[in-house]
Amino acid sequence: MTGTVPAPAGIELVPVRSLVETAVDLRVPLGPGDRALVEVGASVVVGSPLAEHFRETSLAEVSLPDGHGARPGDRWTAPQPSGRRANAPRPAGELLFEWRGAWRMAVGDQSEPLESPVAGIVREVTPGVRIVIRAAGRALRAAAAIGAPSRGRLELAAGPGGELRAGGLDVGRAGTILVVGSRVDAETLTRARAMGVRGIVVGGLPSKERRDFLASEARQRAALHRLPPFAVLVLDGAVRRPIAGAVVTLLEALEGREVAIVGGPAALVFDEPDVVLALPPSDLVRVRSGPSAGREGRWLASLGVRRFERGVQLEAAQVLFPEGPGIVPVGDLERFG
Amino acid sequence: MTRDPRAFFALDLGAATVSAALVARLAGRWRLLGALALPAGVDVGTVCRTLAERTVRADPGVATAAHVDPDALEAVPTVTVRSHAPRRLAVVAASERALAPLAGAAARTGWSVVAGSAEALDPLGMSRLLLDPDVGAILAGAGDPPGADERGPLPELAALVAAVAERRPELTILLAGAVTDELARFGDVGARPGEVLLGAAAGGGAGGHGLDELLTELALPPDDTRRAAAIGVATLADVVGRRVEYVEIGYDAGMRTVAEPSLGRDGSSVASAVVVSAALVPPEPDDQLLDRVLGWTTLAIDRHRLRDRLRELRSAPWADAAGDGAVVRLAAARAALGRLLDATRELDGGSPPDLLVAGGGAWAVAPGPVIALALADVLRRPGASQYAFDHARLLGPLGSIADPDERRTVLADLADDMLVPLGSVVTPAGLRVGRSAGRLVVHGGAGVIELDLVPGGLELVDLPPGQTAVAEFRFRDTVRLGGKGRHFAVDVAGGLGGLLVDLRDVPMRLPDRHERRRELLDSWQASLWTGSET
Repeated sequence: MTGTVPAPAGIELVPVRSLVETAVDLRVPLGPGDRALVEVGASVVVGSPLAEHFRETSLAEVSLPDGHGARPGDRWTAPQPSGRRANAPRPAGELLFEWRGAWRMAVGDQSEPLESPVAGIVREVTPGVRIVIRAAGRALRAAAAIGAPSRGRLELAAGPGGELRAGGLDVGRAGTILVVGSRVDAETLTRARAMGVRGIVVGGLPSKERRDFLASEARQRAALHRLPPFAVLVLDGAVRRPIAGAVVTLLEALEGREVAIVGGPAALVFDEPDVVLALPPSDLVRVRSGPSAGREGRWLASLGVRRFERGVQLEAAQVLFPEGPGIVPVGDLERFG
Repeated sequence: MTRDPRAFFALDLGAATVSAALVARLAGRWRLLGALALPAGVDVGTVCRTLAERTVRADPGVATAAHVDPDALEAVPTVTVRSHAPRRLAVVAASERALAPLAGAAARTGWSVVAGSAEALDPLGMSRLLLDPDVGAILAGAGDPPGADERGPLPELAALVAAVAERRPELTILLAGAVTDELARFGDVGARPGEVLLGAAAGGGAGGHGLDELLTELALPPDDTRRAAAIGVATLADVVGRRVEYVEIGYDAGMRTVAEPSLGRDGSSVASAVVVSAALVPPEPDDQLLDRVLGWTTLAIDRHRLRDRLRELRSAPWADAAGDGAVVRLAAARAALGRLLDATRELDGGSPPDLLVAGGGAWAVAPGPVIALALADVLRRPGASQYAFDHARLLGPLGSIADPDERRTVLADLADDMLVPLGSVVTPAGLRVGRSAGRLVVHGGAGVIELDLVPGGLELVDLPPGQTAVAEFRFRDTVRLGGKGRHFAVDVAGGLGGLLVDLRDVPMRLPDRHERRRELLDSWQASLWTGSET
């Protein structure tokens, strides 16, 4: 049964969540001083250097020769000095603004490359602001992405409702993006990064684990010898819930293939034209949030307004779950399209 | 628009909710036939069709008289308002002193604000602030004339802003106060896609109000729900001839509007503020927000789990609306209302409103008495007010009717239908601690009810919607209830919550210990949350 079967009456009251999107624009933020290495219209492949990012940026004042025609955002490198100072370092950076005959310039130190995690076309380059890439392929949108954009081979490490523990990781997983089920803790995330895993896809990430991981990530970012980029893709939210069946089907189809986790917008990007998208049955609904989060069932009927626990009146529906029919607020439901 | 048709849809397309109300002209006046709200993402045509079908099922005769046919809804006109995701405004000034009123004005006019001064940020930090990709507009302001602390850094700040404007021509730039003298730095402003606008200096007086209006114009498009709702509230105040206050807590912002009836003057007096930080749950709930919500919740829940629930509420505002989810939602709504009041103290005025109207998705699913108590918990104003709820989300759409006479006619007809009476709330202040503060006698249609007034407590008197009564208070000592005195007779109207006599502290003082506070809050709320019928 596929989405071609007519949708049952009343199910149109349930919001549709797109399973995958095409034409996703990936936004790569730049800071003042960062040096863009691509131009608008350029094609990029995975790993193409997009920009030179500087970990430390300072302010300098430079005098430009008359008639230079410089504009804010331009790069500027001081001319080669002559004489005894010929070997002195030449200040270089991004011009910010002209002030009293000189220019304020952002000068970077300790550069590191920003590489494209996806193939695509560069659509916008605004120095000091951002680079926008139209990613080739399709994207599975998620609630949040944490960490740096990364890329790896997708591997299912736990069932949709399961959980991966730190002890379940080894160096054999290096280079992979792991699908770890309904939740994951910060210890597993930091161990995965240390083992060379490139990313984690998880149903829910509790706030405490998120905070602990972000602190660890900040420490790692400040370190001189950094590990490869690592990202966590949170599919649904902050509480534990099984990954949606439709998403699991897609991830199973992508297993063993190269995918990327990106953060602006949060998504799993894949360029695999031969992966055919199987839409779930048109009457399938999923409980999005609440105590039953993650349960899936078949839409039976719209019931109108019903009174729920604590006297709250909500639009309700009857849904057939595997264990039997139940009455659920329509606001708790979602369906995939 | 509404003169000829027999019916129209009033649509409020919000960030979290799509809401439709079906209004029809029956027996010579406009009536609300029904309303339906569903999560944003549901097709608005589906919402209208479902509402029309339910109207036909409920009363085919009325549907026929109103010319409502679910198969021909394209013939039914609509008035539509939308709420828009707040844009980010970078506010910059030469000094911290000059920055504060500018940032305050921006925060009250529907902007998500980031701010910095040349005093606190070097040019690199300032550039970083202004070049942030999320920034959609820049406000650079100064006093007029500039203060001594502004004169030195102002030209350099203007040069920096002009350079950013050149790099990002799509940005809207607003120059306020003495910064307008630096306009020449921005070159040919007519040639850039983003506007460069000139405004008055911030802070008091006519000039300050001018800046507020300009910021509001920029932040809220003409079809914005909240912009229209302010007009709707002003019209309502005129129609009912009473001082009306509207507090709305929504997904992306909170709104507060205070309107006085015009009473024959030219135009009514209305003051309004849209505060992004007063959204039900901001995108990233910080510790301060968490503390405030935790302070209102009656659930035994730790900080981490509460933060998880708030994140879920943000990402799926319609989900988990019953059971404990409802309690978390109302705690978050109380906290958001507190933030709204903190940000709009200049609207407080001297006396409480005659009619307080609540709106927005934060309250939408809670039982009426729970809404009334939540409002009373946070507002804490000595006096007596009638509370109501804009259940069909009509104030925005009706406020968008362009013709003032037509708007007034429709609102006058619909006032009773669109406002669910929550009840009357009487809050005396200055009660002395003791066993009894006095006696209350309620003279109503159902007879006489007498109550002892116990300081620190809540007294609920059953007074159904549509009934009126006179509440006669006899206090042992002088209290504040509007004015100061010991004997008061207050006209009260009924509602879902009846008459609520709030003898708790003004302002509210709650125990510091979580457990004790939770018990106390629960003792006030428990009887108002009713059971399940599913």
